[in-house]
Amino acid sequence: MPEIEFTIDSITGELQLHVKGIAGPACDDVARLAKELLGQPAAEQATAEYNLRTQVRPQIQARRS
Amino acid sequence: MSKYLTFPDVIFKDRRLLLAALTDIGFPIVEEGKALPLYGYQGDRRPETAEIVLRRQHIGRASNDVGFARRPDGYVPIVSEFDRRTMLNGDFLTRLRTTYSEQVVQEVRRRVHGTAIRRVEGQTIQITVRY
Repeated sequence: MPEIEFTIDSITGELQLHVKGIAGPACDDVARLAKELLGQPAAEQATAEYNLRTQVRPQIQARRS
Repeated sequence: MSKYLTFPDVIFKDRRLLLAALTDIGFPIVEEGKALPLYGYQGDRRPETAEIVLRRQHIGRASNDVGFARRPDGYVPIVSEFDRRTMLNGDFLTRLRTTYSEQVVQEVRRRVHGTAIRRVEGQTIQITVRY
């Protein structure tokens, strides 16, 4: 199950977020939403999971004539 | 793990969430408009203008107006040195940033149709949104 972990430092107000459980650039949707509300982050780091790509196997079906 | 984003200096990018955060920390009455003038504690007009203004009457007797000026990247607070030191015991901007961040989390949760679990450990607020 995908989840977003937000950590807020109540002394400084600093917010850090960590997107988990979404392989590949699909998590960019969450990042885009966060940037829309927070502005540009000071740091943005893709983790190992980000670089995983969903494997797509092309399927070819014979056409019925 | 997929991605880390760090926001050390929260910009109040979203007007609606900024107003909600101000309400949460005790400032529900604001004036909104284009280039509204700011006034000092003696009623003197200051050169600064802002699009969202907390009038000094709603802050404290010796306070000045507090403004939020709209810039291309969001709303920038305009707070006098005195009010920065005294509003909410000097925690006004920090409390506002923290509360705004919590508003952002709730907005993200709503948009992804998720559920949130909130934990507080010392000075850290941790909110996990599952969807």
